[in-house]
Amino acid sequence: MDKDQFNKPVVLPKLASLGLTHSDLIPSVEPDIKIKIRNLSLYYGKFKALGDITIDIPKNKITAIIGPSGCGKSTLLRSLNRMNDLVPNTHIDGQIILDGENIYAPGFDVVDVRRRVGMVFQRPNPFPKSIYENVTYGPRLYGLRKRSELDGIVEHSLKQAALWDEVKDKLNQSGMTLSGGQQQRLCIARALAVQPEVILMDEPASALDPVATLKIEELMQSLKESYTIVIVTHNMQQAARVSDFTAFMMIDNPQTRTGKLVEFNVTPQIFTNPQNKQTEDYVTGRFG
Amino acid sequence: MNRVMINPKVHSLHNYRRKTTNMIMLVLAGVSTVIAIVPLVWILFYVIIKGAAALSWDFFTKLPTPAGVPGGGLANAVVGSVITVGIGVIIAAPVGVLAAFYLLSSQTKPFGQVVRFATDVIAGVPSIVMGIFAYTLIVLPQGHFSALAGGIVLAFIMLPIIVRTTEEMLKLVPNSLREGSLALGATEWRSSFSIILPAAFNGVLTGLMLAIARGAGEAAPMLFTAFGNPFMSVSLNEPIATLPQTIFVYAISPYKDWQAKAWATALVLIVLVFSLNILSRVIIWWRARQLGSGNR
Repeated sequence: MDKDQFNKPVVLPKLASLGLTHSDLIPSVEPDIKIKIRNLSLYYGKFKALGDITIDIPKNKITAIIGPSGCGKSTLLRSLNRMNDLVPNTHIDGQIILDGENIYAPGFDVVDVRRRVGMVFQRPNPFPKSIYENVTYGPRLYGLRKRSELDGIVEHSLKQAALWDEVKDKLNQSGMTLSGGQQQRLCIARALAVQPEVILMDEPASALDPVATLKIEELMQSLKESYTIVIVTHNMQQAARVSDFTAFMMIDNPQTRTGKLVEFNVTPQIFTNPQNKQTEDYVTGRFG
Repeated sequence: MNRVMINPKVHSLHNYRRKTTNMIMLVLAGVSTVIAIVPLVWILFYVIIKGAAALSWDFFTKLPTPAGVPGGGLANAVVGSVITVGIGVIIAAPVGVLAAFYLLSSQTKPFGQVVRFATDVIAGVPSIVMGIFAYTLIVLPQGHFSALAGGIVLAFIMLPIIVRTTEEMLKLVPNSLREGSLALGATEWRSSFSIILPAAFNGVLTGLMLAIARGAGEAAPMLFTAFGNPFMSVSLNEPIATLPQTIFVYAISPYKDWQAKAWATALVLIVLVFSLNILSRVIIWWRARQLGSGNR
């Protein structure tokens, strides 16, 4: 594959007309790419759910995937840590390259993918175990047993997830006793505990109230210093608020219902100066 | 505007009919409930009254006396029931739970459907047929009745109950928990046993108790397998007495003393099953307390 083909700078033709340059929009001039999605097509049996998607997901940035319901946002997200493997008869064409390695290559260990690419789900799903056990579940899977090390991981992960102060005195209580927003931060801490490189978030705040949502969004900003974050969201304001890059997806036509990438760009560009008519219609609320 | 006018006269008549119908159905439902409950309470009280009269400490500590000789107890049957039911549970519980996990993971696969259907069929097979089956399979080749054969036939009887209740309980665990575990890099096996089974624990335990209650009450298959034994035996290779089989033998005997003992045995059986259920409630309560409140 032509390597340089994907390392070209993002083309923003209308920028100049606004008197802007790249660096006005992109905080670091040319970000490293953490995940390269290359010509990804995904089939559930005969149904083609995703068609020919190519995106570069930059390192230590928040990339949002937006689009109307049923356009394949979650499917795309779940293919990044091979959660779609769990659906019978799933077939994938193309590549997802994580730090130079195709995670769909034969022999690539799915456990390794999922350790490096963590996931936070739409509804908080703490295990019906204590807070402590929730956080240590992942590290234990990878053979960590020493109490002192586990204690350290629990404190560190919960602090990163901005939950430590609220739960430090009740680590042995069930994770189910927490409020919805706390449960979601516990799930984030649980994902952080295995020291992933990427965190996938599937509408992480859609089941939460506005205060809890704000906490999650603030948390994402602090997490992106150490992690690459990909978030699927229904909420365009949220995408505009939190993300650095935005991918807009849509189904190609109502019969085939294949999800396609319409536009991918830095977030301000998608929301203020979209290059595609469909993107413009969507972000201005004319449909969807 | 098309508005339906309500004739007050017709309306009040209609209203009256609605209320009457409601009243009649309410009374019918109440009467049906009473009809359903009366025999249950009746049986329970009858067994308690009749059984308690013949029950003494000797029942649990002494062995049966020959017909006509007063006194004695049925320690052998109590021990025998515990042994055979124990064997049944030890075999059926792990197999049943693992099979339930298999069924859960192969909801739509043809083989899973076949297994599920077969399980339902086996659950409907009369226990006496199970007894004959175990008789030809185990007792005939061995040449003698045995506690082991009794335990195995109870395992056959418990297995479909455990498989189906466990599968239903596992199904109730939200898929998001399984996904949460898999997303951390856990294997299916690990997710099943570390997350799904504990989450479904209460239901699985209740299903197990149901199976034990069913097994502990079986008399017919025991006649073909464990057979009965008037002496104390703890050997798996010897015939052994069990409570239901003892009830059968003593109740149809012509001796007043034995008939009274049959009542006492029935009471012991009921109390045994009842206390197992209490025990399972206590375990569930204790587990909930361990995790702090709010865990179901």
